[in-house]
Amino acid sequence: MALLKVNSLKKYFPVKKVFMTAPALLKAVDGIDLSLDEDRVFALVGESGCGKSTVARLIVRLLPPTSGEVLFQGKNVFELSGNNLKAFRKSVQIIFQDPFASLNPRKSILDTIAEPLKIHRIVEKTRIKDTVVELLNKVGLGSDILNRYPHEFSGGQRQRICIARALAVSPKVIVADEPLSALDVSIQAQILNLLQELKREYRISFLFISHALKVVHYFSDSIGVMYLGKIVEHAKTEDLFRKPFHPYTEILLSSAPTIIVQSDKDVRSRNLKLRTDMGEIPSPIDIPPGCPFHPRCPKKFEPCDNVIPELKETDGRLVSCHLF
Amino acid sequence: MSLLTLRSLHIFFRSTSGSIKVVSDLNLEIEEAEVFGLVGESGCGKTLTALSIMGILPQNAFAEGEIIFRGTNLLTLDRESIRRLRGKELSMIFQEPTTSLNPVLTVGYQVAEVLTTHMDISKKEAMNTAIELLKAVKIPSPEIRIKEYPHQLSVGMKQRVMIAMAIACKPSLLIADEPTTALDVTIQAQILELIQRLREDMKMAVLLITHDLGIIAENAQRVGIMYAGRLMELADVYELFNNPRHPYTTGLLESLPEEKGKPLKPIPGFVPEPDRLPSGCKFSDRCRFAIPECNEKEPELIPLSIASNKSNPPSPPFAKGGQEGINHLPLTTRHSSLHLVRCIRASEILWRS
Repeated sequence: MALLKVNSLKKYFPVKKVFMTAPALLKAVDGIDLSLDEDRVFALVGESGCGKSTVARLIVRLLPPTSGEVLFQGKNVFELSGNNLKAFRKSVQIIFQDPFASLNPRKSILDTIAEPLKIHRIVEKTRIKDTVVELLNKVGLGSDILNRYPHEFSGGQRQRICIARALAVSPKVIVADEPLSALDVSIQAQILNLLQELKREYRISFLFISHALKVVHYFSDSIGVMYLGKIVEHAKTEDLFRKPFHPYTEILLSSAPTIIVQSDKDVRSRNLKLRTDMGEIPSPIDIPPGCPFHPRCPKKFEPCDNVIPELKETDGRLVSCHLF
Repeated sequence: MSLLTLRSLHIFFRSTSGSIKVVSDLNLEIEEAEVFGLVGESGCGKTLTALSIMGILPQNAFAEGEIIFRGTNLLTLDRESIRRLRGKELSMIFQEPTTSLNPVLTVGYQVAEVLTTHMDISKKEAMNTAIELLKAVKIPSPEIRIKEYPHQLSVGMKQRVMIAMAIACKPSLLIADEPTTALDVTIQAQILELIQRLREDMKMAVLLITHDLGIIAENAQRVGIMYAGRLMELADVYELFNNPRHPYTTGLLESLPEEKGKPLKPIPGFVPEPDRLPSGCKFSDRCRFAIPECNEKEPELIPLSIASNKSNPPSPPFAKGGQEGINHLPLTTRHSSLHLVRCIRASEILWRS
């Protein structure tokens, strides 16, 4: 059974309320399904505004959904309360994009990491300090920083502190919302190695949200490509990078700049050819009729502008495109 | 003669305890109509270098050395003369288009302002040219857009407006400081394509500053790698990616994920504060190849052929070493085939082929 399952999850935000009229709806997440197995990494990719961070927030129950359900070990997390909810919080943790904004500046590192230990009564009071040191060691930091404050650290170090805090409750799932994008290249590699070690050692599953395709390719087992609140392609990572099916995935992959040296000039020119000037992502307030991607799609044909394609199975993956 | 020459450029920050050097002895040349890529992590001084060229360093920073643009040293110019160059001959686009545009003025006004400032044309003509410029940067229905305010545009559109402002007077040098870092990959590809096309049409040189090696590989002709305020390696783009010789450059390349499951080889540690740099080579504390000698004396940026020929004493003009040797370098950086590296073990650093 899947550890975490998301069933037709929707989140609409009301916007632009005009007097005496129904508010317009921003369809941030418009019916997505996904499942995460134990010891696996599921990645969500897509452009900004496609709803991937909203999915993260819904899954950890930071936001109530408009409809749909998130099942963790078979139980709908939106119906949990009391001790069950506390147990869920202990099993599912989140790491945010901006390590500068996700640590309380007035709390020392000891207090920051001790807080989840106290709330969930993980260890006895006398053992708290030792446990915090152990956690810091796990993420490659020393005990000398216990009494220091977040502003004294660099982005990479803060992200390590955030990871230590998430690990404090020994979670089964970590939702990582763009954990690398605020960091420098050399530090990104350090954090990515750390996440990989943690996964190997503690068999933590990850829901990994990112727009860095190279990192996703490296770290994930399967991928959901999101576009305007919907998953348009869902496949195993290897399959997707070998041959993207959905035209949007294809453009997304070809848009990422790559280090290609002289010998591979063909690859380069192929990528350049695919990078059509397809304009920008439409507003999620008025999503185009038919296939939401059709105004930007180089392969659109007759039914695309009036029939919404369904997500259907093709060759062991799910694609929502009339071509398949 | 090259378009822009930086000669022994040093940039300092004033602080209560004296000044802190953040960019040290930068020598480089940018030719007409070339794309020169400057790569480095945050805090390495790449943005400060750009700001010093534009003459817009923050109040508490100052530059020493020479910034020679078309034969004139910009650092000796008075404020009025550099103001006349800025926006006309030299222009710049920034990382955050949202914070770089004035929110209370229409985008049309902001583009036209550049034109009325530097050229002798009326407001009406300037507005018409602004429409043309917005069309050139592929903004749909520019006649309507010029009357809109920045908040009505998406980030990608705002960056296009920034580019329109930057190219309004057909500058000979465009400095693009992380122009696409705030943008999505699909929009990034469009913006870079646009910059390349404009560069070809207008024959302008571009100083492309980024931390993304992929962007450099696809867009630049020559590349400088910066670390801790110094150029560590400088080469032709193919040479740099085929035959990188500085451990920092190879470290950056190895930090990029490639094969699944294969652990990455990140550069250990983190960038030191500019007032706490190690002695000798500034990268030595994070370098896997460091030997005690590295901490004795800071290596110079010298041609690879000489660096890899350590046993034979190098021939003049590089033999003199010290300040004099460095002074000869700008003459030679012009050859695109030249590969400069600042590492005493450069000959031993071999990139997997």
